[in-house]
Amino acid sequence: MDEEEILVTGASGFIGGWIVESLCLNDSANVRAGIRRWSGAARLGRFPIEIVLCDVLDRKQIMKAMQGVNCVIHCATGSSEIIIQGTKNMLNIAQRLGVERFVYISTTEVYGDQSGKIDESFPCQYTGSPYGDSKIEAENLCWKFYKKGLPVTVIRPSIVYGPFSKDWTIRLAQSLQSGNWGIFKGIADGACNLIYISELVSGILLAAHHEDAVGEAFNMVGPEIISWNQYFQRFNTALGLPKLRITSSSRAKLNASMMEPVRSSAKFVLAHFTRPLKKISKKYRVVRKVMRSFEQTIKTSPRLQGLSLYSRNALYLSTKAQNRLGFRPKIDVENGLGLTVKWLNHLMLVDRDTLGS
Amino acid sequence: MTSNNLSSVNIPFILNKKRPKISLIGCGAIAERYYLPSLSRHPSVLENLILVDHDRKRAQSLATQFKVMNYLVDYREVLEEVDGVIIALPIELHYPISMEFLSRGVHVLCEKPLAESADKARDMIEQAQKTGAFLSVNYFQRLIPSFAKVKQLLADNSFGEPLVIKYFVGELFDWPTVSGYYFKSKTSARGVLRDRGAHVMDHICWWLDGKPNLVSCQNDSFGGSDAVVHVHFEHNCCLGEVKLSLLSKFPCRFIVKCEQGSIEGDVYDYQNVILTSASGRKKRFKLKSGSKFNIGYQIVTNFINVINKNEKPLVSGNDVLDSIQFIDECYEAASRFDMPWYEVLKAGSDG
Repeated sequence: MDEEEILVTGASGFIGGWIVESLCLNDSANVRAGIRRWSGAARLGRFPIEIVLCDVLDRKQIMKAMQGVNCVIHCATGSSEIIIQGTKNMLNIAQRLGVERFVYISTTEVYGDQSGKIDESFPCQYTGSPYGDSKIEAENLCWKFYKKGLPVTVIRPSIVYGPFSKDWTIRLAQSLQSGNWGIFKGIADGACNLIYISELVSGILLAAHHEDAVGEAFNMVGPEIISWNQYFQRFNTALGLPKLRITSSSRAKLNASMMEPVRSSAKFVLAHFTRPLKKISKKYRVVRKVMRSFEQTIKTSPRLQGLSLYSRNALYLSTKAQNRLGFRPKIDVENGLGLTVKWLNHLMLVDRDTLGS
Repeated sequence: MTSNNLSSVNIPFILNKKRPKISLIGCGAIAERYYLPSLSRHPSVLENLILVDHDRKRAQSLATQFKVMNYLVDYREVLEEVDGVIIALPIELHYPISMEFLSRGVHVLCEKPLAESADKARDMIEQAQKTGAFLSVNYFQRLIPSFAKVKQLLADNSFGEPLVIKYFVGELFDWPTVSGYYFKSKTSARGVLRDRGAHVMDHICWWLDGKPNLVSCQNDSFGGSDAVVHVHFEHNCCLGEVKLSLLSKFPCRFIVKCEQGSIEGDVYDYQNVILTSASGRKKRFKLKSGSKFNIGYQIVTNFINVINKNEKPLVSGNDVLDSIQFIDECYEAASRFDMPWYEVLKAGSDG
C-alpha cells in the first residue's frame, strides 16, 4: 500500500473529490487527482496532493497522468461521449501501461426501469436515457477489456447524497427552502436507495484493494431504505424548515408538465440570446430581479423525469458487496442528513440572509 | 478608436507624446483578458510592447492576437531595455522579478496581490524608493465607484463612526488559469484569502484608514490553499466579519453600519450603494458607471503616465501594505474549521 499510486479521474466532481480527500486524509496512497480544467480545482487545492490535467477525451493527457500508476479509479462523467469514448480511452491506456487495477464508477441506472429487489444478476436495460444507456456502453467496454486481461471492477452506486452532491443535496435543499417542493402523494412513494457519500467511498476503496473484486460489478446502497417522500420530509426537518405541503399526484404531474415547456424555452433563450440578456439585465435592476426569480422557480420545481424516478419501486441490493468485500455501511439517513446540513450551513448554501441588514 | 470616443467615456489619456517601452511579463489569463485589451487602446505603446512568457507558443499566440511585434521567453533580456514592466505572473514570482526591475530603476505595475508577505512587499517599496522607480499595483477595485463612495462617506464622517462591517463574497472559482499555479501545492499554500481577500481586506483597511486588529481567523486548508475563510476583526469601536468562499455561491455583499446610518452594496454592482439613515429610511444612491474594463484601461493609462513622470500611481505599493500585513496575520493565526463530515470519513476508513 505504501508505494501505491492511484489516479482518480473526475476528481473535481462529487464522488471523485471525496475519494481523493479520503485517500489524502487517511494517508493511504499517493493520490493523483485528474481534472479536466483548473477552474474546477478549488476543492482539491485544499489538500497537499498532486493535481493533474486528465481530460478523458485527450489521450495525451491521459497517458501523462497515468504514468507510474498502479490503480485507476475512473469517476469522470458527463456527456455520452465523455462516458463512452472517455472510458474507452482510459481502458486502452490502462491496459497499455499495465495498470494493476481499474475501478469504474457506474450507476444503478444501468438497471433501467426494472422494479423489485435488484442484485447484480439482473440484466442491464436500455431505456433511451442518454446517461443510463451510455453507462451500459461504458460497462460493456470494461468487460471487453477485462476479457483482454485488464483487472476491472465496476461499482454501481445508487442515490448518493452528502456534502458536495449537487443533485440530491444542494438542489434539493434549495428546492425545499424555496417552498416549491412538497410531499408528492401517490408519486414519490418509490424506494429512495440512499447511500451517504463517505460510505460509498469506503466501499469503492475496499473494492479497489480486494482480490475478489476483479471482473465483478457491485451495487452499493446505504443501510436504510426509505421512500422519496420520507427523504424529502426528513431533509426538510433536518434543515429546520416549516412542514412541507402535501401535493396530490395529479397536481404534481400537472405542475411539472406545465413547467416543461417553460424550461425548454428558457434553455433555448439562454443558448441563443445570452449576450443581449446579460446586457439588459446589467442595465435594468428590475429585469435582473425578475430573471433571478424565474431561474429560481425553474431550478426548484419538480421535473417530470424526477417524478418518474420517485415512483420507481426498485430496491437495489448490495448483498454481494457485503459478502465478498465486507462492505458494511453504517451511516443511516438521520446521521447522514445531520452531517449534510452542517456542511450546507458551513458553505452558506441554505442560510442566505447574510448581512442581517 | 478616436480620441472623441475616449473622451466620451471620461477615460484618461496619455499626458505627453513620449512612447514608453513597456514589457508585459506573463502571458496568462490576466494578460489576455485585462492588460492586453487595455494596452491595445494605446497603439503607440503597443508598437514598442514586448511580451514575455516562458511558454513561447503562448507568447506568440497572444502577440498574434493583439498585433504585438515583439515577444520573448526570458524576462532577463528586457532588464536593461524597458522603461516599465507589467508583472502578470504567479504571486511567488512578483517579488523576485519586480525586485530585479526596481533595482534598475524600472517602473513596475504589479498584479495583485503585490507579494506573498508584508516583508517582501516592504522590500519592494523600499527598493523602489531607493532607485526612484514607481511601484504601482493593480488593486483596481479602489477605482470602482461604489467602493470609492464608501471611502468618501466614511472619510467625510457622513454617518458617524463605523460600528460594524460585514463583507461576504461567495462565488465558485472559475478563473481560466492557464498554468494551474493557483492550486499547485508546491507553489501555493494560500488561497481565497490571498486572492479574493486581497481586494476585500484592502477595502477594509482603506475604509478604516488603517489595519484592524485580528480577533480570529478560520479556514478549511488541509495543507493546501484555503477555499473558505471566516475572519473576525475589530478597529476602535468597530467590529467586523469577513466570509469568503470559492466552494459556494452566496450573495456577494458588504455593509458598513455607522452611528447614524449604514452603507450597503452588492460587490458586483459598481454603480449603486444603499444608504440607510438613522431613522431606517433607505435610499439607493446611483453612481457614475464604471466597468472593470474601463478601470483596467485607467490603471494601464496611469502606468504609462507614471513612466512619463507626469503622474503618481493610482494605487501604489505603500497604499496596500496594511492589507497585506493583515492577511499575513490572518494566516498566522488561522485554525481549521470544525468539519465533522471529514471526521466520519477518517473513522469510516479506519473501520
